[in-house]
Amino acid sequence: MPALFLNILKLIFLGLVYLFLWQIARSIGAHVGPGQRSKQTKVADELTVIRSETMAGQTVRIGAGIVIGRSDEANFIIDDTYASDFHARIGQQQDKVLLTDLGSTNGTYVNGRRITVPTSLGKGDTVQIGKTIFEVR
Amino acid sequence: MNRNAEASLLVGAALLASLGVAMVNFTLGRGFDAQVALTFLVWILSFGSVSFALRRWAPAASPYLLPLAAILAAIGFTEIYRLDAGLAAIQRWSLLLAGAMAVLVLFLLRGEGVRQLRRYRYLFLTVGVLLLLMPLLPDSFPIHGAEINGSRLWVRFQGLSFQPGELAKLFLALFLASYLADNHVAMSAHTRRVFGLGFPPLRHFGPIIIAGGVSFVVLVYQRDLGASLLLFALFVGMAYIATGRRSYLAAGGLFVAIGGVVAYQAFAHVQRRVGAWIRPFDDYSDTGYQIAQALFAMGSGSISGSGIGLGRPDLIPAAATDFIFAAVAEEMGFAGSVAVIAAYALLVAAGFGIALRTRDVFRKFLAASLTIVLGVQSLLILAGVLRLFPVTGITLPFMSYGGSSLLANMILVALLARISHTGRSV
Repeated sequence: MPALFLNILKLIFLGLVYLFLWQIARSIGAHVGPGQRSKQTKVADELTVIRSETMAGQTVRIGAGIVIGRSDEANFIIDDTYASDFHARIGQQQDKVLLTDLGSTNGTYVNGRRITVPTSLGKGDTVQIGKTIFEVR
Repeated sequence: MNRNAEASLLVGAALLASLGVAMVNFTLGRGFDAQVALTFLVWILSFGSVSFALRRWAPAASPYLLPLAAILAAIGFTEIYRLDAGLAAIQRWSLLLAGAMAVLVLFLLRGEGVRQLRRYRYLFLTVGVLLLLMPLLPDSFPIHGAEINGSRLWVRFQGLSFQPGELAKLFLALFLASYLADNHVAMSAHTRRVFGLGFPPLRHFGPIIIAGGVSFVVLVYQRDLGASLLLFALFVGMAYIATGRRSYLAAGGLFVAIGGVVAYQAFAHVQRRVGAWIRPFDDYSDTGYQIAQALFAMGSGSISGSGIGLGRPDLIPAAATDFIFAAVAEEMGFAGSVAVIAAYALLVAAGFGIALRTRDVFRKFLAASLTIVLGVQSLLILAGVLRLFPVTGITLPFMSYGGSSLLANMILVALLARISHTGRSV
């Protein structure tokens, strides 16, 4: 009886270790490798910085939703003195990607126009926050 | 995955560590019930505080690094506790200290991040080399070197001992990333071709030659084959990664081949290591004993192991430190060993993933060199225990008993996490 019990305990321990590693291995694949270019999705799901002094080329995934701003608390911290601490939020709603200005000082621009209401984004749109310009991809 | 998933995985690792301790108590009849709770608490305090620091100062950081470190530490700790409850108690304190240091590093880098470290290149080089050479301090000094098992790697101060070489690797990785960030373009220029390989001007081999020299000094005066190979692999590997030129790999390989033959001819300790590797049973009772015991242990482990507390890993010399993998292979079997190797592979994959995604060259190179340090160190000692390579006598990151190693590797993971915060998409 103790031998059987110890064997079961041993297998439970190993099983838990593998369960743990599986949880990590499952989601790590998407994060290893150079880029998103290979992943072609229909819905716009990321922003790439196309004009900035220090951040050009950086990419941010929209995922369930992100807040862009200068604050350390923002999901995507933007190095731009013309941006507000919490400047704008981008989130998914049904199958739309919505951009909302969070009462920023200098405003948020989509394709050059300042937005006043939550605005739907599509691939190829440009978003300007402060002096930084993103492209939706 | 996000910070919350990371937090729940950390709780999982804490539970695993305490389950391991409970199993040891049960099979060995130790019955210290407080140990189980204490272990859980230490995992939560140590890794939890680093996770909290990431949440606060690097919320977009990769959530994979910390859980992988935590589970490796949990598996290693189970075996350490099984071998010696006294060592395990010290290891718990080391883990708390390592967690606190990682939090401190994240705090110091909270504003500008890792980027600000680029300008202190030569300070890092000096500190790194001094740390490496610190064990050579004569015994009459208040802070002096100490020799354990024939390698002079330790420094003693008032009864406390530590291995400065573990931290030296971090400083040298920082130096290298900064140096290469400024020089990689010049270093990748070709001026002549030899045997079909393009070679840059000779002066760009300077760092490689310095690396070879430092590695050789470490090998000769400290009799530390592991640190020597690790440093050399770091310098050559980074020269290749930074420039994409195979000529650096060729030059490095040539250097290792010549250096290896010379070292083998000239030094008795190298001959002993190689002899014990090729024919461990010829001198079973002396030089081959450790490897032979490790082979017996791993062989008897079979597929799922003898069960925690049911094998005899205590027969392997240095089972709690360098040979912890043999103890794991015996008591958790092939299945447990593969899990450990998979965890290291995932850590290295995550590290290089961070390097690939980071745009800024300094931080990109720093992520790559930290990953090389972690990966090569794990590889060297795993291969040594498995008798694929001579035993190099370095610790297995996060698993081996030892405060300096734990501290250095936690800081390494904190730096990687901080790089991934700014460098990658959320």
